[in-house]
Amino acid sequence: MRVYRDDQKFLQFRINAVLWGIVAAFVFLAGSFWFVQGVQAEKYRGLSEANALREIEILPKRGLIMDRDGKILADNQPAYTLQIDRVVMKPLVKADEQRRAKLLAFLAQVLQRPPAEVQARWEKEAKEVPFTQPFTIADDLSMSQVAAIQAQSIAFPEVNVVPVQRRNYPYGTMAAHVLGFIGEVSEKEIKQNPDLEQGDLIGKRGVELMYDQYLRGRGGAEYWEYDADGRRLSEYVPARKQPVPGDNIYLTVDFELQRRAEQYFAENEMVGSAVVLDPRNGEVLAMVSSPAYNPNVYSKRFTPESWKEITSNPFKIELNRAIQGLYSPGSVFKIVMAMAGLSEGAIHPHTNFGCGGSGHFFGRRFRCWKKEGHGAVDVRRALKVSCDIFFYNTGGRLGVDNIHDYARKLTFGEISHIDLDGERAGIVPSTQWREEHPVRGDKKWYPAETISVSIGQGPLIVTPLQVANMTAAVANGGKVYQPHVVRYVDKVQTDGSYKRFRVPSRVLHEVELSPAALKAVREGLWAVVNEPGGTGSNAFVEGLNIAGKTGSVQVIAYSGWIKATSLPFKLRDHAWFASFAPADNPQVVAVIFIEHGGAGGADAAPLAKLLYESAFRGQVAGSRLDLRNPETLEKIREGEPPLPSPR
Amino acid sequence: MIFRDTGRPTIDWNFLGTAFVLACIGVLLVYSATYYSNPDLSYATRQIMWVVIGLCLMIAFMIVDYHVLFDVAPILYAIGIVLLLYLLIFGRLTAHVKSWIHIFGFQFQPSEFMKIFTALMVARFFDSNDRAYLDFRSFLTVMGIIGLPVGLIIVQPDFGTAAAFFPLAAVAMFFGGIRAKVWVAMVLAVLIVAPIGWFAFLKPYQKERVLIFLNPERDPLGSGYQVTQAKIAIGSGGINGKGFRHGTQAKLEFLPARHTDFIFAVLGEEWGFIGVVIVLGLYLFLVVQALDFAKHARDRGGTFLIICLISFIIFHVLINVSMQIGILPTTGIPLPLLSYGGSSTMMFFIAIGLIANVDMRRFVNAP
Repeated sequence: MRVYRDDQKFLQFRINAVLWGIVAAFVFLAGSFWFVQGVQAEKYRGLSEANALREIEILPKRGLIMDRDGKILADNQPAYTLQIDRVVMKPLVKADEQRRAKLLAFLAQVLQRPPAEVQARWEKEAKEVPFTQPFTIADDLSMSQVAAIQAQSIAFPEVNVVPVQRRNYPYGTMAAHVLGFIGEVSEKEIKQNPDLEQGDLIGKRGVELMYDQYLRGRGGAEYWEYDADGRRLSEYVPARKQPVPGDNIYLTVDFELQRRAEQYFAENEMVGSAVVLDPRNGEVLAMVSSPAYNPNVYSKRFTPESWKEITSNPFKIELNRAIQGLYSPGSVFKIVMAMAGLSEGAIHPHTNFGCGGSGHFFGRRFRCWKKEGHGAVDVRRALKVSCDIFFYNTGGRLGVDNIHDYARKLTFGEISHIDLDGERAGIVPSTQWREEHPVRGDKKWYPAETISVSIGQGPLIVTPLQVANMTAAVANGGKVYQPHVVRYVDKVQTDGSYKRFRVPSRVLHEVELSPAALKAVREGLWAVVNEPGGTGSNAFVEGLNIAGKTGSVQVIAYSGWIKATSLPFKLRDHAWFASFAPADNPQVVAVIFIEHGGAGGADAAPLAKLLYESAFRGQVAGSRLDLRNPETLEKIREGEPPLPSPR
Repeated sequence: MIFRDTGRPTIDWNFLGTAFVLACIGVLLVYSATYYSNPDLSYATRQIMWVVIGLCLMIAFMIVDYHVLFDVAPILYAIGIVLLLYLLIFGRLTAHVKSWIHIFGFQFQPSEFMKIFTALMVARFFDSNDRAYLDFRSFLTVMGIIGLPVGLIIVQPDFGTAAAFFPLAAVAMFFGGIRAKVWVAMVLAVLIVAPIGWFAFLKPYQKERVLIFLNPERDPLGSGYQVTQAKIAIGSGGINGKGFRHGTQAKLEFLPARHTDFIFAVLGEEWGFIGVVIVLGLYLFLVVQALDFAKHARDRGGTFLIICLISFIIFHVLINVSMQIGILPTTGIPLPLLSYGGSSTMMFFIAIGLIANVDMRRFVNAP
C-alpha cells in the first residue's frame, strides 16, 4: 500500500462534492425540460402542427445579361418539368404493391421513352434528392405532355408538373464565349461553396461563371401542410419566403459591333477571333471566337445528340480563341519591335536599313517577304510595307532579352486578368526562358533565333486579347488597362429596386514610351492603312484616320517565296490585323485574327473596316463632324449622331 | 477503509445493465427517427451492430486487468498520436474537418479512441503521484499528456471533439489538486487568451455558432434552426409524448441530425417528459454508481481511471442535453450510448467496461 491513504479523505471529499454538483445539474436539466414540456407544451404543440409543413423550394430567377445598352443577351424562359413526390407516394405504395410499376408505365407512355430509361433516371434522382424533396423525372415537357399528365392528376397525385425557369440565350451563338453557359453543379463545386445544393444550376463558363454569385439570386420557399400520412393539404402562406432574383449584368459589349464581327466570320466561314477594345478604359466592345457553341444547348439536360454536336466539332467550339487561343503574332509584333528599338535607342526615327529581299544574320540567310526587296527603309516605311529585313536588323541590335522586356511590358507572356475564365499567358522567349525550357537538353539561346522572334515567329505565342491590349497601350500612350467585359452590375435591393455598380477601369501598369517613339510608330501605322502601298489599305475608311498593322504567320516552314493560297487550308498562313482609330485620338482598338486566313491585309483588314464603320456609324460620309471631340464620338457610338455643323 | 475480503471478482450487474438498457433505448430511438426516410432500416441495423461490437469490446476491456492496461498505455497512446498525425497529413476532409479514417468502406474517428488512451495515461500518471496538490512540474506533465492529442485535434480542425477532452483537464486539476492562487492565475490567463483565440483562430462558421448561441434569431434556417426545431419537438411531446414512431418532427425530417446529436429531442417528442426523466435518471444512476466505484477502488490509479472515464460521460450528457433546449450552443457532441455512431458507441462501451474492470478488482486478493 502506498502513502496515499493520507490523501484518501481529501479525494473522497472531492468526489462527494462532484457528485452533489452533478445531481444539482441533473435536477436543473430536468427542471428545464419540465419548463419546455410541461409549462410551454401548448405553445410548442401549436408550432409543431404548423411544422407539419414541408418546405418546397422556389428557385430564384437568374439575373439577366445585357449588352452595354441594355439589349438582352441572356434571360429566362418558362418551361415545365415533371416531378415525383415520394412523401405523397409512400402511403399509396403501401396500399397498392403495383403502384410503382403502374406509375413507371404511365410515365414511359406519356414521355414516349423506354421504361428502362425512365426507371434509370428515377433511381439516380431518388438517391441524390432527400426523401422529403420532390425529384425531377423529366424536363422540358411539351404542352401535349403537360395536358396528358394533368388529365391523370387525380389518379397519380404524386406526379406534379412544375413550372421552372430555363436559361435562354435569344441570339443563340452570339457572344457565346463571353456569356458562357450554365450547368448542373458538380460535387466538387458543392464542397467549395456551402451555399450550393445538389441540382442547382450555376454558371460554368464566361460571365455566367465569373459573375455567378451576382446572377444566381437566392432561393425562396413555400410551406405546404401535410397530414400524418404525407398527403398535401394546403399552403401555409404566411411562412412563404419570396425568392430574391439575381442581379442584372450589363456587358461592355456593343451588340452592333459584336453582330457585325460574328457575321463576317460566319459569312466567310472563317475560324478565328476578333477583339474590340476601348483604349481609354479597357472595356471590351466586342469579343468573337469563331466558330461558337450554342449556350442554349447546355441549359437543357444533355441528350446523346446534343453531346455529339459539341464533341464532334473539329474546330474546338468551346475554346475562346480570344483569350485561350495561342498563336504566333507574326508581323503584328513589329509594333513592339519598333517601340523597343526606338525607346532603347537601338534605332532612331531616321535610321535606314537597306532591304534587298534577303540578308545574312549570325551566319544564316533570312528572307524578306518581298523577293525584290524594299530598298532603303526607315521605321515608318518599314511598318508601312512590313519590311522584314529592317526588323531583323533592329532585333539583332536589341537582343532577345530587350525584346522580352518590352514584350512583357506591353502585356505579352502573362494573363491580362480579364473577367473571364481560362485565360492563357502565352510565351515570350528570353535567355532565361531557354534555360528553363531547353531544346533537347540545350539551354543556350542562339542569336539567330532572335532574328525569327523579331518578326513575331519562333517560340513566341500570344492571344488575340494580348495583341489588342498591346495595341491599346500604343494607342493611349502606354497605359495598360485590365480589360473587362462587364460594365455594370445592377444589384437587387431589399425593396426590389436596383442599385447600379460600375465595374471600375483599372490601369495595371504604365509603360514609359518616349513621345518620339510613339510619334514615329503611330505615323508608320497610319501609313499602313492610309498611304498607297500600305499593307492594310483594305481597312481604309473615308473620313476616319485608322492606324493598323497587318500580319501573316507561317503555319509550316517553307523555303522560298510561295503564294499562301496554293496551300491546303490547314497549312495556310494565319492572318492578323491590329488597329486603332482615330489615329490622333484613339477611341477604338480592333484586333482581328483569322486562322489559316492567308494574308492579314486581304482577309483580316476588311473586317476592321466594317467594325470601324459600325463603331463610328453615321459619320463616315460626312466628315464635317468634329471627330476629335470625345463627346461627339461617344454620342455616335450610342447611336445618336449629332447633326454635322453647317460649315 | 474496510475491504470485504472475498477474494473473487464481483461484477456489478446493475451498472452494466443500466448501460445496456440505455443502448437499447438508443437503438429504438434511432429506428424511430429514421424508419420513415430510410425504409431499409440501415441506420437502426447498423446501430445494433455497433452496440454488439461495443459489448464485445466492453467485455474485452473488463477481462484484461487495468494494471496491465496501465503498463501498455504508453504504446496505445503512441498509436493514437500516430493515427492523428496520419489524419492531418493524409486525411480526407469531411464537412470541413479531417477527423475520419476511412478503411474498408467504414470510417472511424481515432479521436474517440484517443479519449480512452489519454484517460489511461492520466490515470497511470496519478497512480504514481500521490500528493494532495500538484506541483508545477507534475502539472505540466499531465497537461502535456492531455494537450498533445488536443493540439492535434484542434488543427484538424475539430473544436467540438477537442473540447471533449476538457473534462480530463478538469479532473486532473480538481482531483489532482491545484492551489487557490493557481486557479486565479489560470482564470486570468483564459480571460486574456480567449479574445485572442476568437480573432486569430476561430473559423467563421465557429464564430457563427457562438453568435447564434448568443442570439438565436440571427440565423433561423442555420444552426439556430436546429435548436428551434429541437425545442419544438421536445415541447410538443408534452408530459406523455406522442408515442413511439409517432413523432412528426422527426419523421418529416424537420429535425436535423435527429439520429445523432439530436436524438434526445426525438426522445422528448415521442416519450415526453416521462421518457426524459427516465433516461436522465438512468444516466444519473450510472454516474453515481461509477463515483461510488471510484471511492472504493483498490488504488489511486483505479480511482483516477474511473473518474476520468465517467467525466467523459458526464460531460457529453450535460453538454448534449443542454444544447437540445438551447441552454448551451450546438456542438457536435453525441449523447453517450444513445446517439447513432460507431466510434462513439464503441468508445463509451469501452469506458463502461474499464469502469467495471476497476470495480471488479477492488479487492487486493482478486486476480
